[in-house]
Amino acid sequence: MVVVLAVDALEYDKIEEFNCVNMKQTVYGKTDISEFKEPRTIVLWSSFMTGENKEKEVLAKGNRGMWNIRIPLSETFFSKFADPKVIDLPAYSYNLAQHEKERDLLKQFFKEDDQEKKKKIRSEYNQIAIQHHNKIKKEFLKSLKQDFDFILGYISVIDVIGHLNFGNKFLMQMLYDDLEKIVEQIKNIRDEPLLILSDHGMKAIGIFGEHSNYGYWSYNKGCDLENPKITEFYSFLTTI
Amino acid sequence: MDYLDRLENESIYIIREAYNKYEKLGMLWSAGKDSTTLIHLTRKAFLGRVPIPVIYIDTYFHFQEMYDFRDKCVKMWDLNLIISNNKDAVKKGITPKDKLACCTARKTEALKQTIEEYGFEALLLGIRRDEHGIRAKERFFSPRDRNFRWNYQDQPPELWEQYKTRKEEGQHLRVHPLLSWTEIDVWKYIQRENLPVNPMYFARNGKRYRSLGCEPCTQSVKGNAGTIDDVIKEIEESKVGERSGRAQDKEEAYAMQKLRALGYM
Amino acid sequence: MEEQDLRFVIVGHVDHGKSTLIGRLLYDTGSLPEDKYQSIKEAVEALGREFKFAYLMDHLEEERSKEATIDTAQTFFKSKKRRYTIIDAPGHVEFVKNMITGASQAEAALLIVDVSQGVQEQTRRHAYILSMLGIEQVIVVLNKMDLVNYSQKKFVEVRTQVSDFLKSIGITPSLFIPISAVEGDFVAKKTDNLSWYDGLTILEGLDTFKKKVVPIGKPLRLPIQDIYDFDGEKIAVGQVVSGSIRKGDKIIILSDRKEVTIESLKEFGKNPIEAYAGKSIGFTISDSIQLRRGQIISHQKDLPNVTTSFKGHLFWMDDKPYEKGESITFKCATQETQCNLIIEKVFDSSTLEVMSKGEGKIENRQVANVTIKTSAPVVIENFNYIPELGRFVLVRKDCCAGGIITG
Ligand SMILES: Nc1nc2c(ncn2[C@@H]2O[C@H](COP(=O)(O)OP(=O)(O)O)[C@@H](O)[C@H]2O)c(=O)[nH]1
Ligand SMILES: [Zn+2]
Repeated sequence: MVVVLAVDALEYDKIEEFNCVNMKQTVYGKTDISEFKEPRTIVLWSSFMTGENKEKEVLAKGNRGMWNIRIPLSETFFSKFADPKVIDLPAYSYNLAQHEKERDLLKQFFKEDDQEKKKKIRSEYNQIAIQHHNKIKKEFLKSLKQDFDFILGYISVIDVIGHLNFGNKFLMQMLYDDLEKIVEQIKNIRDEPLLILSDHGMKAIGIFGEHSNYGYWSYNKGCDLENPKITEFYSFLTTI
Repeated sequence: MDYLDRLENESIYIIREAYNKYEKLGMLWSAGKDSTTLIHLTRKAFLGRVPIPVIYIDTYFHFQEMYDFRDKCVKMWDLNLIISNNKDAVKKGITPKDKLACCTARKTEALKQTIEEYGFEALLLGIRRDEHGIRAKERFFSPRDRNFRWNYQDQPPELWEQYKTRKEEGQHLRVHPLLSWTEIDVWKYIQRENLPVNPMYFARNGKRYRSLGCEPCTQSVKGNAGTIDDVIKEIEESKVGERSGRAQDKEEAYAMQKLRALGYM
Repeated sequence: MEEQDLRFVIVGHVDHGKSTLIGRLLYDTGSLPEDKYQSIKEAVEALGREFKFAYLMDHLEEERSKEATIDTAQTFFKSKKRRYTIIDAPGHVEFVKNMITGASQAEAALLIVDVSQGVQEQTRRHAYILSMLGIEQVIVVLNKMDLVNYSQKKFVEVRTQVSDFLKSIGITPSLFIPISAVEGDFVAKKTDNLSWYDGLTILEGLDTFKKKVVPIGKPLRLPIQDIYDFDGEKIAVGQVVSGSIRKGDKIIILSDRKEVTIESLKEFGKNPIEAYAGKSIGFTISDSIQLRRGQIISHQKDLPNVTTSFKGHLFWMDDKPYEKGESITFKCATQETQCNLIIEKVFDSSTLEVMSKGEGKIENRQVANVTIKTSAPVVIENFNYIPELGRFVLVRKDCCAGGIITG
């Protein structure tokens, strides 16, 4: 079995700063996403699963349209496995309703002028992100106990909450701590090749967060990847 | 001796220590309430005089009322004013669009240039321990290197009233006579001493300023405080940090724009 | 509400819970910025995790050090009685000199001890420093009661251990308070977990601390800080550290022992005839004697000691040890001269174990009884009588030691 923990906006600098020992596996570092004009979530995950730079195709769908993209299994490296399970990955099996809800609250947040109401919106936004996270976490850990030969769990909470709260480091550290716990649980369930990967990282704009232009990767066995591009994982994961 | 007296006397002692140790001593003055209080304490220390130059860092983005207030005080107290600015930044067209770059260029760089030009060895600053965060690590006399870096974990000890006054090559010292004061203390003192304050601190149309800075980066807070008494009461009841008005809106606008560009909205 | 805040330090062995206690105090007294607090609290609940109070401190500290413009917490928390300032609580990177600096500005201290561990190395060192700095108001906090099932027996056992140790260094704590900083027991509120304990919470305990009062009725001591020459008039300035001075007083200038008369007292905007302890004052004298920084003003009737040899008790805090024969700068109030140390006894500041007698070296974090030989006469007092003239620092490039005068 090969396990991938795909974490949106997992930031290298934070991993170091909070010293997340579980996520700093045998090898770890930044990924190189400089080939992309902007570090966009859909662009990056599409490129990851197909092993090709998908920027042009994704952008052609427009800012709204790109979230609806569903890449067929046959175009992804998941098809190289006999029994893969891919949970909630953008451009593949992502929960669109959840995303709609978050996007809607984001809009409301920025439109609102009243500070009190703003706080309420932020709070609701954070809550639904964490609830979704808890659901995904459960499903992911459950799947690990089953007989798939490839499992990918996609965690969005760091990105979603980060956009409105990245400057609240205490809150971010709690979320990173939660990921640390997840990694520990994965290891306790089974000792398999584990790749932790993010599309891009995040940096602060005051209390808010924006994408940084490198990603994070970490692997629990020795390997010779160095500053890899996100498209390189296609062959890496299929030749383990 | 009441507690404001105690604070006042401690501050005067520190100002006199700095003056005794440094020939090239200056003072930073933003025309805000803290540094204006500092000027007043300096006048007390030197029996009505301000025998050291007063540096005003001008970003060219300050509120007109700050300039007016500044010029009034300069006249009234016969201040030796040095206006510090970074002409490069202006030439290069660095603007508050990039807040950090703008602050660095227009404030930090400007001050660096002024320190070098005049050879200042030490500067009096009106910072207070309660301005930021919780662990008041700042010392009364605090060395900074050429790049203004401050190694806050490994500072020399400062015991009782024995301050670090010796400086190393390339360093300058920052001296903080108001370190023990709080925001409320400053207001109470301003009231007691009948000091002039910038009218922007008081409410107009339900909004006022708690700290003053550059126009594009300073936001007002909600409030109806029209007198110093009101201001004190408002602060006592408030839980929001003094600087919270600054920059937040700016960042929000920028974050929104970014999220749009990334396809989130 | 009292007008002035009370400044105190929290000291104790690393990991005994200083940061956690501060975080808890801020949280329970509602002193955190509301915005952040709210999101944190919600996330804690949603994730089903405990609140990491110790992290909170690190973040607040860091925001401060970066002088970030995002909103930060107030420094203060309040009880019903007054506001409090926590001075420089030592962080995870432990520098004794930061602890000493903080403690020298404090009026009171909380000494925190992990009840499951009892007295440890830094517990002893920090307590010793409190004692040396003359901080008399101390409350002992026995933390992590949750780890010992809130056992009263354990509390009593550790209380006895701490109390015995403190007695040996001359500290009598006013209270021993059992708490769990993590659970919030007896920090700001009483809880059932400690139902056998009917004493005060930390917050109530802090309220029992008293503000320092400036003593009156002690003899005049006024160290000259500087001489100003304004418009041809020579004005000496300084802060009265004890007693009082009046216009027309006959005074003695030490160490020269010259007698002169105070012609006028100077204060901006006022015409004072008298100045009390605590006042930063200026004055002129009726004679044409040269005044200079470092001289001490006194009255004839109760002159202080003027000497070049006296006993002291010091804490060394520099990596480079003091070695016999080294001439080092001595500073006491505004007096500054060179001195040599005759080392009588050196001991470890934690174990209080005597390291050497009359040998030639004092190393970092060691404490020593010394005789100080100054190259010029200095005016000194016993630390317990007039602290401002009874405490000193030794300086090379930076301050290397602080100490008190014992005789
Ligand atoms: N069980 C328990 N753990 C505590 C308590 N107080 C602190 N801790 C833990 O002890 C560790 C060290 O605490 P910290 O506050 O960082 O100690 P400091 O080094 O003195 O600042 C942290 O992991 C805390 O969570 C307590 O009351 N009960
Ligand atoms: Zn993303």
